[in-house]
Amino acid sequence: MISTLLLVALVWGAEPQAAVAQADKPAATPAEKPALSPADRAALVEGKIPDDPERSLFQARCLICHTGDYVTQQRLTEGQWQKSVEKMKRWGAPLTDDEVKVLAAWFGRTWNADLPERRSPRRPAPAGSTPAR
Amino acid sequence: MTMDRRQFLKTSAVGLSAAAWWLQAPTLARAEGGAELIQLSERPLNYESVRATFTTRLTPLDRFYLRNHFDVPEVDVKAWRLAVHGLVEKPLSLSLADLHRMPQVKVEAVLQCAGNGRSLFTPRIPGVQWRFGAMGSAEWTGVRLGDVLALARPKGEAAHLEYRGADKPAMSTTPAFIRGIPMAKAMHPDTLIALQQGGKPLTRNRGQPARLVVPGWVGDDWMRYLTDIEVRADEPKAFFYQTAYRFPVKPGAPGEAIPADQMGPMTKVNVKSILGSLSDGQVLAAGNHELRGVAFSGEAGIAGVELSFDGGATWAAAQLEGPSTPYGFRVFRYPWKAEPGRYRVACRATDTDGATQPEVPVWNPSGYLYNAWDRVDVEVRS
Repeated sequence: MISTLLLVALVWGAEPQAAVAQADKPAATPAEKPALSPADRAALVEGKIPDDPERSLFQARCLICHTGDYVTQQRLTEGQWQKSVEKMKRWGAPLTDDEVKVLAAWFGRTWNADLPERRSPRRPAPAGSTPAR
Repeated sequence: MTMDRRQFLKTSAVGLSAAAWWLQAPTLARAEGGAELIQLSERPLNYESVRATFTTRLTPLDRFYLRNHFDVPEVDVKAWRLAVHGLVEKPLSLSLADLHRMPQVKVEAVLQCAGNGRSLFTPRIPGVQWRFGAMGSAEWTGVRLGDVLALARPKGEAAHLEYRGADKPAMSTTPAFIRGIPMAKAMHPDTLIALQQGGKPLTRNRGQPARLVVPGWVGDDWMRYLTDIEVRADEPKAFFYQTAYRFPVKPGAPGEAIPADQMGPMTKVNVKSILGSLSDGQVLAAGNHELRGVAFSGEAGIAGVELSFDGGATWAAAQLEGPSTPYGFRVFRYPWKAEPGRYRVACRATDTDGATQPEVPVWNPSGYLYNAWDRVDVEVRS
C-alpha cells in the first residue's frame, strides 16, 4: 500500500513537469523546428506523442482503430509512412488526401530510423482485460 | 471524510491516470514483479517476449507473446459455436461441450508470428516491429481438426479450408482476418482445434475458447477465437491470404519490390535459434558461464546448434538437451570459458533436413521469416 502511494506520488510529481515542458515549447513550423531536447527525445523514444500541431489530427483520425503506439513503435521514411497512411485510408480511416500527406510528413519527421527504439519491457494488461482505447 | 462529486471525479481521474502511467512505466512495472513483455502496441494487443525467456523447452504462459490484428473479441463461451460448412455432406454447428466430448490430443509445438524479426531487416519495413520475441513453445490440447472434418464428411473435390475467428476490425472497410490451409495439412493428426495452452483453458487474450494449432507452420494459420471453417475446392480469396502473408518465390535484393505474381503463401517456419542467457550490452565476469538458448524448425527436428565468438570465422558445437521434437523448442547449452574482451556471440542451428540459418536474412517486402544468425554483443571483464 505504501509503495503504491509512493508510486502515485511519483507519478503525480512527474505529470505536471511534463505538461510544463510541453507548454514551454514554442510553436514552430517544421522548417524552423528546433532540435529536440534530450528529455523530449527520451520521451519520444518511450512512446510519448509530442504536442505538435498534427497531434489532434492524429488522435481524431487514427486512434479510432488503434492506439498511438502502433505508429510510435515504427521507424520509417516519409515515403513508407505515406504508403502506410494511404493504406489506412483505403481501410477506412476518415482522411482527406491532404491529411494523409500532413500525417505522413509528421510521422516521417518524428518516427524515422534516426530515433532509437524503445525496448524496455513492460507489464501487459491483465489477461482478459479490455485493451486501452 | 466527505467528498463531493467533483472531488471524487478528480481523485478518480488522477488515480486512473496514475494507474495508466504506472502500467506504462518500465522501471516501476519491473518493481511490481511478475512477468513482463515488450509492448509494441496496446490496441491491437501486441507484446513480445523478452530474450531471457528463451532458455526452456516450454515457454511459461505469462511470458508468451501476444499477437492480434484487431480488438480482442468478447466471446460468450456458453453460446459459442463452431460452424463447419462448404463442400461437406453434413454441415456442423459445434458447441464447446461437443468438442470436449471428442478425443483430446496433446501436441507440443512452437507458435511463431511470421513477422518475428521484422525490425531486424535493413531497410526498415512497416508493420509491428517484432524483434525476436514473437514466438513461444507450448503443449496444446484439443481435438484433431481431422476428426471434426471427418464428422462433416468432406466431398471429393474438397482441397482447402478457409477459416475465420470472432475478432473483427473496427471498421467494415478494413479486411477481415481470414486464412486457410490445404486439406492435407488440415487432416494431419497433429493439426488441432486447441482448447488449452499449457494445460489451461485458452484465456481471452489467447484465443478463447478455441484456436487452431498448425504445428510447424507460421502463426497466421493458427486462427484464434475460431468460429467458422469453410471447406473449399480452392484457396481463400481474402486479403490476408491473397495479398498479405506472402513470401517471394525467388529472393530479391534488400528493399526491392516483388511483383504479386512472384509471391506465394507461406507454410513452414524456417530453422532458427536464439541465445536466451545473454543480453546485448551485458558485462560478464571472466570465467565459466553456461550459455543457453532454444532452436526449432518447422516440421523438422534440430540436428545441431553452433556458437561463434569471432564473428562467424569459427564455430563450436553446442550440446542439445532432451529428445528431438518435430515442432517444439530444442534447448542447447554451451560451457563458455570466457576470457576478458568484447565479443559478438553468434549462434546458428541446422535442422534434420540439412537447412542452416544464413548469415543474412532472405529479404522480402513484409519482413517475414527472419532467421539470420542470432547475435549478442557482450563484454567480459577480469
